[in-house]
Amino acid sequence: MKELHAGGIGARLPRKEDIPILRGEGRYFADISIAGQLHVMFLRSPHAHARILSIDVSAAEELPGVVAVITGEMIRNEMLPLPQPSVGGGLPGRKPKFWPLAVEKVKFHGEPVAAVVAETPYLAEDALEAIFVEYEPLPYVGDMEAALDPSSPRVHEDWNDNEIFKSNFRATRSADEHAAHIEEAKRRIAEAPFVVRQRFRTHRCGITALEPRGALAVWDATEGITAWMTTQRPHLQRLSLAEVLKLPQAKVRVIAPRDQGGGFGMKGSVYREPLLVAYLARHLRRPVRWLETREENLMAAGQGRDQIHDIELAADANGRLVALRDKIQTDAGDGCLGGTWGYAMPMVGGMRLPNAYILPFCDIQLRVAVTNKASLCPARGFGIFAPRFALERALDMLARKIGVEPAELLRKNFITTFPARLSTGLGYSSGDFVKTFDRLVELVDIPEFRRRQKEALSLGRYIGLGISTGVEVSGVDNLSYLTATGGPSYATVDLRVDSEGHVTVAYGDGPTGQGSQTTIAQVVAEELGIDPQNVTVLSGDTLTTTYSPGTVSGRGASMVLPAVALACRDLKKKIVRVVANDASMVAGDEEFSFADGYITYCGNSNLRRSFAELAHRIVIGAVDLPPGDTGGLEQRAVFEATRGNVCFSAHAAFVEVSPETGRVKITRYVTSDDAGVVINPLIVEGQIQGGVIQGISNFFFEEYVYNDEGQQMTSTLESYKIAKASDVPRIEIYHDAGTPNPTNPLGTRGIGEGCIAPVPGALGNAISDALRPLGIEITDLPVRPGPLFHRMDVALRDDQQA
Amino acid sequence: MNTSVSITINGIAYERSIPIRMLLVDFIRYEAGLTGTHVGCTFEGACGACTVHLDGDAIKSCLVLAVQCDGRWITTVEGLAEGSELHPLQIAFNEHHALQCGYCTSGLLMTGVDLIEKDSELNEEKVRHGITGNLCRCAGYSNIVDAILSVARARTHEEEV
Ligand code: FES
Ligand code: FES
Repeated sequence: MKELHAGGIGARLPRKEDIPILRGEGRYFADISIAGQLHVMFLRSPHAHARILSIDVSAAEELPGVVAVITGEMIRNEMLPLPQPSVGGGLPGRKPKFWPLAVEKVKFHGEPVAAVVAETPYLAEDALEAIFVEYEPLPYVGDMEAALDPSSPRVHEDWNDNEIFKSNFRATRSADEHAAHIEEAKRRIAEAPFVVRQRFRTHRCGITALEPRGALAVWDATEGITAWMTTQRPHLQRLSLAEVLKLPQAKVRVIAPRDQGGGFGMKGSVYREPLLVAYLARHLRRPVRWLETREENLMAAGQGRDQIHDIELAADANGRLVALRDKIQTDAGDGCLGGTWGYAMPMVGGMRLPNAYILPFCDIQLRVAVTNKASLCPARGFGIFAPRFALERALDMLARKIGVEPAELLRKNFITTFPARLSTGLGYSSGDFVKTFDRLVELVDIPEFRRRQKEALSLGRYIGLGISTGVEVSGVDNLSYLTATGGPSYATVDLRVDSEGHVTVAYGDGPTGQGSQTTIAQVVAEELGIDPQNVTVLSGDTLTTTYSPGTVSGRGASMVLPAVALACRDLKKKIVRVVANDASMVAGDEEFSFADGYITYCGNSNLRRSFAELAHRIVIGAVDLPPGDTGGLEQRAVFEATRGNVCFSAHAAFVEVSPETGRVKITRYVTSDDAGVVINPLIVEGQIQGGVIQGISNFFFEEYVYNDEGQQMTSTLESYKIAKASDVPRIEIYHDAGTPNPTNPLGTRGIGEGCIAPVPGALGNAISDALRPLGIEITDLPVRPGPLFHRMDVALRDDQQA
Repeated sequence: MNTSVSITINGIAYERSIPIRMLLVDFIRYEAGLTGTHVGCTFEGACGACTVHLDGDAIKSCLVLAVQCDGRWITTVEGLAEGSELHPLQIAFNEHHALQCGYCTSGLLMTGVDLIEKDSELNEEKVRHGITGNLCRCAGYSNIVDAILSVARARTHEEEV
């Protein structure tokens, strides 16, 4: 086994970012204030769909402390609407035009209609009540299937229907080839001895972060806009702000605060409100601040999932999968969301549907509808939560049909040769699904569980085991990313050493709690042989960092850390040149070791100089350097992935369902993950622990509920219930059956994004397993005790009567 | 309408003239400038990010008006450490990786300290129930529970010795 550098790669190093936060010295968005700042509050639509007949702001304008009241009509000629090139991207579907405030009509309950700017937030809130809006209600389009019917009223009146996007995932096949492909899938399904046909429904839920959104903008005529913003993607915000305000990029600076209270995709989009805040700062020539309320957040941001899958999955007599058909429908809400437009997630989800399995013939069709709801938003897992639920449940049902253990069916069908390509065109570069899966199976002892299950059933107790898996492709190549998002995926870092040997690493993402200050420091520590405490990480400021796509899709471990390693390796070359030159010798990089704060010549350990002394030598004592070298010790590196990083998770859930209450108790939950080379096990396990609990919370508790008029009924944390400590189990996490990733210099794989996706399948399979004696299959989410109790009750009565 | 109050926070008396409708959490954050106490819900008491100690008891500072705290004393997360010496629970949170984004952390520290101080026989179940008023979106709770229990156990152990 490789020896651990103190605090280097593989060390369970407690996080560096914790200490200020624990002292109450975190620097979150809400902690930033600028002298003279004004406060914005938004008046939001009480209707899901209505024409705005008139808005009377005169009474509000008169109130004490009110500086301005702004409506959509007032800004529509002052700033450009979205989409703009930075957030239109290469995405193939439609992009509805929208301004930060509703123009002409409102399209969802909670859409901003007017904004009050006042001296204090309290006064701004008072003034909202003095704005009078006359609405003419329009028919609410709220059901995705009805919305896709040609007879449906339209959400966007300049469109001829409500379909924002559709795809058949034909990859590089020509139309004829694809027709033949579909024909073959059809034939195989028709001839297969085992077929499961089932509709699966995942509800509208997401990962709302504990810290709501916010924006604070300052205008000055020389430097333009400076905007602090809660965002995972500061550089994208900068580009879009420049576009809508018609400013050169050089006049827009966006800063994501050092500490951000969670993101999970919710802070990855270009939203209406910060665009307006920046406009107002310029318009009023005063600092303007918006601090979102939880209610606004639950109404307007962070709604995800929401899909219907009609699946047909077929296997041959030997239990090999032969074909898959899935008609997917998704409710995108109004689709007015810069970046993903409500359909990038289902698009990616459809492409990834075949998961870890050999499925040469797939007929996958996706239709995405716009409705009168808040736009669908990225949520951890980016589009794969619903597809994984549907396919993993279908596989479980198929195994029952065939009469084998589900684990056996999965194992028989895993992709085993890499690189692999799915029928949807998606490529997998590396991994060992079987190895990671076998580790899980070994941990759970299925035969022993079956014995206990039988015994429990004889006592009237319903216990079950569910297994599921998930492949996540994170840190993809530039071309794929450019096509899907409009921007490249590469990671850039700038590394700078001061004359005491302290290293600063700057990069342009907007982390939200991933521990990147610590993992970056560990990679630097490993490469340069210094103490990770001597590393500072800067992020989030577009003025001091170069373009970066953002803290999204597991890019931290898969893209940023490899870039850090590359920068260190290049920097070492210069240090070695100086050491060799000073010693009047000729030596290659590999002849020196960097460890414990020293650079040592392997051929003679008497030639040894401290890192700090050398830093001073090069930064300050910058004379007599090797020919061609200059003073200063800094290095930039860019890492581009040639292929996407693949990580793989296998989950097992054990549950007991109470026939008295319909409550599901998770008695054990185990994961086996391929997270590649693990930089910090504490952090990797933390990501998985948190990700699985979020999945459990989505599965049982969270749901955005709209009433028949399209009013969103779940805009408080009382009604939008998130799992509490007493609701959830402890997750057992194993990552010892991982494999180094050959597509980057560190062997890392980004586990944070994908670890949530197997959860709904594992839980759905476990509950269905427990309730198989009653003939109950879990096909719809969320799973709640009331309805489940009812289903069990009916089944038990039927049983008694029979 | 304004009124004057004197509220002692972490040993310092803050005398201010404030609107009577001002919430305690806003007083702490904007009058005293102590931003370690957070707001995660619409002042509905649902998230616990604003938890502080009022006269030694954990409370949600978004559910209390500042005027109700006139003449009383408050401890916030900034008051947990003694100078450079962190409170054992702060150290335990770091060691157990009990925070990711850290937005819930100050509230959970205040609730955790309250639990440890008031119950000498804490166990996992009691802690899980004891922190139900505090949501954590990132960490999945187990490491938080472990951090609280480790300090509680060290205490019991100390007392026994
Ligand atoms: S802000 Fe006080 S409980 Fe949420
Ligand atoms: S660490 Fe983010 S909410 Fe708890």
